Amino acid sequence: MSALRAPPLLLRALVHLIVYFGAATMLVPLAWMVLTALKSESEAALAPTWSTLLPSSPRWGNFLEAVRAADLDRFYLNSTIAAVVTTVLAVSHNALAGYAFAKLRFAGKRVLFGLTLATMMVPIQVYFIITYIVCARLGFSDNIQALVVPFLASGFGVFYMRQAMEAVPDSLIEAARIDGMREFDTFWYVARPIVWPALVSLGVFTFVFSWNNFFWPLIVVDSERSKTLPLAIADLSAGQYVDSWPVQMAAGTILIVPLIVVFLFVQRAFVRGVAGSGLKE
Amino acid sequence: MTGQRSITAYAFLLFPLGILLVFTLVPTVIGLWLGFFAWDGGTDPTWVGTKNFTDLADDAKFGPALRNTLVYVAASVPPTVLIGFLLAVAAQAEWFRGRVIVRTLFFLPTILSIVAIGYVWRWLLEPDAGLLNWGLRLVGFANPPDWLNDQAWALPSIIAVSVWRGVGFCMVIYLASLATINRSLFEAAEMDGATPAQVLRHITWPQVAPTTAFLLITGVIGALQVFDIVFVMTGQAEGDATSVLNLYIYRLFTYGQLGYAAAVGVVIFAITLLATAVQLLWAGRDRSSRRAAA
Repeated sequence: MSALRAPPLLLRALVHLIVYFGAATMLVPLAWMVLTALKSESEAALAPTWSTLLPSSPRWGNFLEAVRAADLDRFYLNSTIAAVVTTVLAVSHNALAGYAFAKLRFAGKRVLFGLTLATMMVPIQVYFIITYIVCARLGFSDNIQALVVPFLASGFGVFYMRQAMEAVPDSLIEAARIDGMREFDTFWYVARPIVWPALVSLGVFTFVFSWNNFFWPLIVVDSERSKTLPLAIADLSAGQYVDSWPVQMAAGTILIVPLIVVFLFVQRAFVRGVAGSGLKE
Repeated sequence: MTGQRSITAYAFLLFPLGILLVFTLVPTVIGLWLGFFAWDGGTDPTWVGTKNFTDLADDAKFGPALRNTLVYVAASVPPTVLIGFLLAVAAQAEWFRGRVIVRTLFFLPTILSIVAIGYVWRWLLEPDAGLLNWGLRLVGFANPPDWLNDQAWALPSIIAVSVWRGVGFCMVIYLASLATINRSLFEAAEMDGATPAQVLRHITWPQVAPTTAFLLITGVIGALQVFDIVFVMTGQAEGDATSVLNLYIYRLFTYGQLGYAAAVGVVIFAITLLATAVQLLWAGRDRSSRRAAA
């Protein structure tokens, strides 16, 4: 196999230049946020010049002020609990349903799977009013259950896990059954290790979705007590906690930067999951 | 034996499908039904037939919201997909240096919440102290606009930020798709003397057509539901310049006009179904005509 001919040097340089410039713009907003967070209020309010791009003397106190202005630790805790519980339970449920749809025979399978897929097509704005009422009747209003329970299964998750379970060889499952394994044990000891990468990808997806979810929490959360990070950011943005841009940006930094650090660790699983979801037809 | 396994299957499905039924499927059916009622959430709903929909036709707040939503879809989705494609083609080339770092950077905004992105961009787009206008003044624009408060610029600004955020996701999907193209196609084209532009247009682009269809369809469905970015960037203002359908539903919900809000939901659902059907037909026809040509 011969190497393909490369285009002329000038074109290659130009392509690198454009792509790198675009990649840099992905970092600029975050860098600007952090730099602003370290400035004084008067410094941040001025039109920037080359000499004032960097803070004259970094004011770390802005971060303390941000923490004092809003219950950032409480919002972190809420988001973390909601995302972790949702991820663990939703991935388990979706995997069980995916296994049933891929490997078990039962009456009504096509209809049930069709209904599951149909849920993916419906925008949340069509059903959120009724779901809100259901949650209120169940006593979930303004607490963590409302952020978790409706997301403990998803059409996409079931579909994704069914695709993964299809790849588990039938012969292995038959062998387990002949050896007298119960179906749940077959799922747990035979199928689960094989689909592990898919479980991890779906887990990362679910976590990020829950962590970033905005519309639904906006509907069900009424108090500071149950607020999640995106709601806190929106309120910051509306100037609810502090007026000063540097303190707002300090709060933004506290809310956003840890997720970026986590992302750098899990991005392989995430990218693999995203890429895989797009290829299946 | 089979009967027993059936019971196992239902046991496996009980909880997941129960959740979907209670929190999505049943609320969807009732939600669509609610569009034909007047309801404030307290007293019993009153059947009003199609009145909600005829009211929408005359509603001075609905028209701009619908128009802005459609503009948002049409102006944000195709550029996002196209730029994502070009980035993937560039990064995937054998001579490209730094593929992993570039992919990581472009993908970064995908994992950040849209609210956080809108928040940071509001500050970048600030008219006096913002970084963008500083850059524009540097290169000679003396009076750059107040992006988010200028009626003419607010929606385009939001669209630009959406495109900026979305290209990395499309790039990652296209990279996976490009990796599956048979290399011999490119080698054959090169032997026949095709220029890089011809290869891009007549080999690479048709080969990734299913991926393009996937990205367009999911992109349009997502864009029809645009809410977060508008809410955080301009949504606190009451103006119509950037109002979109979901922002209007949210406002109606907070005003307690639940039946009327549900009617807007019905409209969004109908547009979503229509747009998806059109795109599926178009993608299908595209494929069969190519098969006929081959």
